[in-house]
Amino acid sequence: MKYLLWAGITFLTFGIQGSISLFDITPNFTVILASYAGIREKELKGLFFGSLIGIVEDSLSGTFLGPNLLSKGLVGYLAAFLYSKFFVWNPVLGMLTVSLLTIVDSFIVYTARSIFDTMPSGIGAAAFIIAMQALYNAPLGIFLKKKSEQ
Amino acid sequence: MNRKRLLLFLFILISLSLMTYQSNRPPLLPLKSLNSALNVFYDIKISVQEFINAPLRRMLLREEENRRLRTELSKLLKEQQAWQEAFRENQRLRAFLAVKEKEQRYVTAARVIARGTDQWSNTLILDKGLTDGIKKDMVAITDKGLVGKISDVSPSYAYLLLLTDINFSAAARLQESRTEGVLSGTGFRTCQLKYIPYEEELKQGAVIVTSGLDTLFPEGIPLGYISKVSKRESGIFQYIEVIPFVDNTKIEVVAIIRRA
Repeated sequence: MKYLLWAGITFLTFGIQGSISLFDITPNFTVILASYAGIREKELKGLFFGSLIGIVEDSLSGTFLGPNLLSKGLVGYLAAFLYSKFFVWNPVLGMLTVSLLTIVDSFIVYTARSIFDTMPSGIGAAAFIIAMQALYNAPLGIFLKKKSEQ
Repeated sequence: MNRKRLLLFLFILISLSLMTYQSNRPPLLPLKSLNSALNVFYDIKISVQEFINAPLRRMLLREEENRRLRTELSKLLKEQQAWQEAFRENQRLRAFLAVKEKEQRYVTAARVIARGTDQWSNTLILDKGLTDGIKKDMVAITDKGLVGKISDVSPSYAYLLLLTDINFSAAARLQESRTEGVLSGTGFRTCQLKYIPYEEELKQGAVIVTSGLDTLFPEGIPLGYISKVSKRESGIFQYIEVIPFVDNTKIEVVAIIRRA
C-alpha cells in the first residue's frame, strides 16, 4: 500500500511538473520527493527511492538513462545524511537544504548530460534555471521534516 | 556505515557506467511506456481544466462585452447631451436675436456666471461690465420678460438685482384693466403687487407688465401673472401675489437694455 501511494504521488508530481511553467522554467518538484524519501526512510532507502524516481524521470524525458537516476539517488542519500547528522531541523534551514539539494540535483543532471550527451543550454542560462528551480522549491522545505520532529 | 558508503560508491559507479555505455548507443529507456499513461493524465487534466474554465471564460467574455457596451453607451449619452446643449443654446440665441431686433434700447447680452454670495439677497453676477457699456440701473430682460436691474457694476462684471429681491420695486400695471400698482420682491420666488384698490376685481392668471411711470423700466415689459389674491377685512388695498415669468433658477443669458 505504501509503495502504491508512493507511485501515485510520484506520478502526480510528474503530472504537475509537466503542467506548470513559471517564467518559462519548468520546476523540479521530483527532487522534493527524493528528498522526502531520504528524510523519512534513512540513507539507503532514500538512495533506493530516489533512484526509482530518477529512472522514471529519465525514461519519461526520452533522452538517456542515468542523469536523473544518479542525481535523485544522491539527493535521497544526501537528504537523509544532512537531516540525520548535520543539523536540527527548523523552517529556515529546511528551506536552505531543499534549495541546496535542488541545486545539487540540477547541477548533476546538467553536467551528466553535458558530458555524455549534448549540453542542454549555455552555462549562464543553466545557472539561472537552476537558481530559479531552487527558489521555487525553497518554500516546500518548510514542510519537509523527519517523523520525530512532527 | 561502511556498507552504506560502499553501496553509494557502487551506485555512483553503476550510474556513470550506464551513462558511458549509452553515450555511443541508442538510449535505454525501460519505463518509456509510462509516457502514454502520463499523456492520458495530461488529457484528463486538460478536459477537467476545460470543464472548469469554459463557463468562466464565457462569463469573462460577457463581462468584457458588457463593459464595452457600457462604455459605448456612456459615450453616446455624452454626445447626445452635447447635441441637446447645443440645440438649447441655439434656441436661446435665436430668442435673444429676436429681442435685439425688437428692442431699440439694446446694449449687450451677458452671461450669468454666478449667484450673489449673500444667501439672503437675490442677485446674479454677469460676465460683462462697464467696458461693455453696462451702467447702473440698466434693465435686464429675456424673451420671457423682466429679470431685474443692474445694482452695481465694475469694469468687467455687473451685479443684477432680481425682481424677487426684497429691495426691488417697479411701477407696474395690469395688462387688461390697466390698473396701476407697484411690483415689489418678497425675497423668495414670488413678488407682491401693491396698491391695488380693494374694489378692483382681479382674476388669477392676470398678466402684469411694467407701466414705465418710474422712468426706470420701459413700458410694456411682461413681469408675471397673479397667482393669489387676498382681500383682507381691514385696509384699502388687496394682497396680490405674483409669480414672475422668468424663473430665476433657469436664467443663463440676459439682454441688457437702457433705462426708460
